[in-house]
Amino acid sequence: MPTTLIEQFGNPAIAIATGVGGVMTVLSLNALFLIWLERKVSAWIQRRMGPMEVGFHGVFQTIADMLKLLGKQLITPKGIDKPLYHLAPIVVFAPVVAATSLLPFSKSVAISNIDIGLVLIFVFGGFAVVGIFMAGWGSNNKYALLGAMRSVAQNISYEIPLILSALAVVLMVSAVGREVPIDGEIVALNGLNLAHITMAQVHWTWFILVQPVAALIYFISVLAETNRAPFDIPEAESELVAGFHTEYSGMRFALFFFAEFSNMFIGAMVATVLFLGGWEGPILPGPVWFFLKTYALIFIMMWVRWTYPRLRFDQLMTFCWAILIPLSILNLLVTALVIKVVQS
Amino acid sequence: MTLAARTVHGFHTLLTGLGVTFKQIFKRNVTLQYPHEKPELSKAYRSLIKLKRFDELDSHDCVACMQCVKICPSACITIEGGKVDGIKRKRATLFEVDFALCSVCGLCIDVCPTDTLEYSRLYDEAGYERAWTYDLLAEFREEEPAFRERQRVQEEQEAAEKEAKRLAAEQAKAAKEAQASKPPDAPEGTT
Repeated sequence: MPTTLIEQFGNPAIAIATGVGGVMTVLSLNALFLIWLERKVSAWIQRRMGPMEVGFHGVFQTIADMLKLLGKQLITPKGIDKPLYHLAPIVVFAPVVAATSLLPFSKSVAISNIDIGLVLIFVFGGFAVVGIFMAGWGSNNKYALLGAMRSVAQNISYEIPLILSALAVVLMVSAVGREVPIDGEIVALNGLNLAHITMAQVHWTWFILVQPVAALIYFISVLAETNRAPFDIPEAESELVAGFHTEYSGMRFALFFFAEFSNMFIGAMVATVLFLGGWEGPILPGPVWFFLKTYALIFIMMWVRWTYPRLRFDQLMTFCWAILIPLSILNLLVTALVIKVVQS
Repeated sequence: MTLAARTVHGFHTLLTGLGVTFKQIFKRNVTLQYPHEKPELSKAYRSLIKLKRFDELDSHDCVACMQCVKICPSACITIEGGKVDGIKRKRATLFEVDFALCSVCGLCIDVCPTDTLEYSRLYDEAGYERAWTYDLLAEFREEEPAFRERQRVQEEQEAAEKEAKRLAAEQAKAAKEAQASKPPDAPEGTT
């Protein structure tokens, strides 16, 4: 079992401070790296070089961009809904930090180990939608509002297949993890605990092998949840200027950008935990495997982004409600049936 | 097509698309890192004008005839010059072109009687101000006294050679005249 920070420090205040500090550091560095990687991957696919000037192959380019954004004037448009407008970037960003602190990075490292970790992660994921709508509504801008409306509709719709496909995994964990030896004692695994989900895979096999349909649905839904191409309709540059963050400048915009890349990171990390065996892997230590798998998934997400064109909004909705949701329900039913048959 | 066939076909096309983009990653990129790398210009590339350096003169040969100034439709050429002390050849002492006005029509090149104007291969002359008045004589200025000295020596040599030739011709003429003045001697030896 991963020892959590509270167990290590004893004092919850110190543990929370360390956890938030650590998560913020990891998220910041990760976002800087991901933005650089996104630009590099897009460049490679388009036979360009991408950022090359700041540091070796432009690795410090994002830091330079960040400094530029820090120095920018914060423009506040007229006629905004002030509390909503100012609160929105924080409401979008805060759940990202909370969600990251739930993930088990390795057998021994986790910031927290909660029995309903999976539920909480989806709760925090749903929270971001509120922030996005606050931004769109508060901006007093038609493009922002349209982007926010699209985003809310899309995120709420795609949460259903996302959670249904994760539920299939939860069922599997409860089924295969009846009696798993952990640290010398036999434990029944809890399907909603992220560390337990990983352990079920260590004990048995990666769930991507037994739940390929769920894995695919999960991956597609994550693409839609993080507003990435081909589902980047809330931010469709050619239609909506920039979507819900049109009226945000400087560091406020940076927070949205940050949250977006961090959401992608979380989506990939949860996918790693659910389907790719989390920290499991030979030779290398647990966290290394965990992040290797995460970044491999992120690379695939970027690769997909630079390959496919954007869907139309009705196509997006039809795809979700007419294909993904029925398919994920079917997958769940079949999983439940098979488990029942095998057990009896 | 049945639903199954359509689904399979759909996945196939999606994977084909991913394959196409993935292959691009390993191909040679087409970026030219411009300030660090310069493009290879076509041989036919013609840009702003410059003064040609002649091998035999090791300098330009602008004689300040003002033909190019007269024909220039943009009136962007300024030339001063004329007779220079010590040498016969006329020389330009100032040759400035305001390339902010120049339309690179090439009329000056066509009209130049000494063919000393030609197209240069400059291409990245962007700037922050409208200060594109170029001194085309700049590269020749330092060596101008040396050129004039060479030219003077050469002209002196030529003059000396000419003088020598003239003298020789005069002598020859005098000898011929002297020969002609005593015609009776000639036939004696032959008979």
